[in-house]
Amino acid sequence: MLLMKQLGKVFHTGEVSTHALREVDLEVQEGDFVSVTGPSGSGKTTFLNIAGLLEVASSGLFLLDGENVNQQSDSQRSKMRNQKIGFIFQSFNLIPELNLFDNVDVPLRYRGFDAKERKRRIEQQLELVGLASRMKHLPSQLSGGQQQRVAIARALATSPRFLLADEPTGNLDSQMAQSVMALLEDINRQGTTIIMVTHDHGLAQRAKRQILIKDGRVSELTATLHEPLHIVSPSATEHSAKVAGV
Amino acid sequence: MFAYYLRLAWLSIRQSYGLSLLMVLAIGLGIGAAMTTVTVNYLMSANPIPTKSEQLFYVQLDNWDPHEPANDNGDPPDQLTYRDSTALWAANKAFRQVVQAQMTAVLEPEGKDSLPFQVSGRANSADFFAMFEVPFLFGGSWDRSADESMQQVVVLSQSLNDRLFGGRDSVGEKVKLAGDYYQVVGVIANWQPRPRFYDITTGAFNEVEEVFVPFSLISQQKISRNGNTNCWKPSGEGYEAFLNSECVWTQFWVELRNEQEKQDYLTFLNAYVSEQKKLGRFERPVNNRLSDVMQWMENQQVVAQDASLMMVMSLMFLLVCLLNTIGLLLAKFLSKAPQIGLRQALGASRQDLFTQYLTEAGCIGIAGGLLGLVFAWLGLQGVQALYGDEMKGLAELDLAMVGLAMLLALVSSLLAGLYPTWRACTVQPSQQLKSQ
Repeated sequence: MLLMKQLGKVFHTGEVSTHALREVDLEVQEGDFVSVTGPSGSGKTTFLNIAGLLEVASSGLFLLDGENVNQQSDSQRSKMRNQKIGFIFQSFNLIPELNLFDNVDVPLRYRGFDAKERKRRIEQQLELVGLASRMKHLPSQLSGGQQQRVAIARALATSPRFLLADEPTGNLDSQMAQSVMALLEDINRQGTTIIMVTHDHGLAQRAKRQILIKDGRVSELTATLHEPLHIVSPSATEHSAKVAGV
Repeated sequence: MFAYYLRLAWLSIRQSYGLSLLMVLAIGLGIGAAMTTVTVNYLMSANPIPTKSEQLFYVQLDNWDPHEPANDNGDPPDQLTYRDSTALWAANKAFRQVVQAQMTAVLEPEGKDSLPFQVSGRANSADFFAMFEVPFLFGGSWDRSADESMQQVVVLSQSLNDRLFGGRDSVGEKVKLAGDYYQVVGVIANWQPRPRFYDITTGAFNEVEEVFVPFSLISQQKISRNGNTNCWKPSGEGYEAFLNSECVWTQFWVELRNEQEKQDYLTFLNAYVSEQKKLGRFERPVNNRLSDVMQWMENQQVVAQDASLMMVMSLMFLLVCLLNTIGLLLAKFLSKAPQIGLRQALGASRQDLFTQYLTEAGCIGIAGGLLGLVFAWLGLQGVQALYGDEMKGLAELDLAMVGLAMLLALVSSLLAGLYPTWRACTVQPSQQLKSQ
């Protein structure tokens, strides 16, 4: 489903070049639940942005469903993002002036669904996250956990096959975090592939696969826990084994 | 999708109503100032007789002082002498021709209780009405024979007919004008060409006269002429001498239907002047002019230079307002960068976002345009109050001007919105999503 080979990302600021990602080799299969951990500034968010087609890699190959996204135009990437990818953010990123119904409606508008289909999907997703009765409320009238649930409903509204979550529980208390994690696990069980960046090792360990990003390099921590490994790069495997052995 | 963008625009405007109001105010002020001056210029320079403005020609002959031109730019005098205009009229070489001058008279209404009053008038030959497409309510024009035989006939304006006869058909009735009875042959319907092109020398924006009588009556001193009179040498003693003098005070128009007729008439004028030169007149080089309506209005600077200057200044003011709007839109749209990043993440292309934010700029522009119309109306009221009757009828917004104001507002705001929208749409979504 997702294949990265020798992927790199370099940011240029004046004469200074920063390598955010180096020689990333990774394959994610349909139905995977991958957690991504790593220290601050290690490249986790850059990795997620490239995976979510919000940024373009500087080098290497990136195939999503067999398509080379590095060669796609802005509008092609937008379309692919809308059709295949759902986003969940740490700070929820709901639009404050829109009520819950309209917030979930945003990606459906860009997808081009008719009004009836949009309404059906919005109600279905808000029902799923337990907020159907509050669809006319504004985000500011909800708790953090509820807002994140709305964000999840929005991410799922277009029926994406691929869900990217950037520290989805980072702004929630532990009880809310457990609840959101349970929801993500449920979504994954229904077949949606999830990549989740988190600082919470407890939550990371609940994923089927765990990836560590450090200094822009990716390694798989699940090598000793689960089979099969999807790491393609020998160097990364080596690094992963080293980490696992520590 | 456009309805969705409109709704988003409304929500955004409502959310930051202070900033939005400032932008609407800036555009409104700019449009208001621009439309006030554009309207005055537009009405001043409007073609008053578009159907035949290129077939009507004002005649100028240069009978002026051989040592000094009539005008600094070398143009012939603005009017003709009585003897030349009547000679041209008698020659009858054009399809239609009008000799005319402004006049005034005292009108004595019937009835013991009615007091005499002064009326504005025009002494003109019969073709005046057909040539200038004057609409008639009752009756019609007199004919050429009435001019030739100096018949005491009169055409009334609608307002005077209302005053004297209560608006009924007065054709055949008599009115007492300057002590003599004149038979009413026609009543013209409300007619007010703007500019009043047929006699710019007495004011391009004056009201149309109340009575019209045959020009030939002037020679008998039946009526008193007025208007501008210019002489370059003494006219001599007595009225007869004045009529035969080199003083210019009549206007002469011809209707020529095509280029051939125009060339033929110019040839005729040149021949006429050559003949007059043999008589010791027209000592300056031949300088005959035939100016069509728009050329004559331009020659006479109907659109005052200060009005044009004001228009340029107001358009520059609009530009300043738009630059302010660009700054405000930039601030507003860039503050939406996180939302723009989010929408990109959710599948919006740059084209989607560009359309969305340009729609918002357009909505602000339309609101600014509506406010601008109010300001323009107030501005025009101010112009009328400042200049009085001279601007009556000129300081009015017509449908075309309303349309132009809205179009100007929309185009201006879209242009003003282009750069801020482009800047907003080029934000890096990944940075915005993390920083939100």
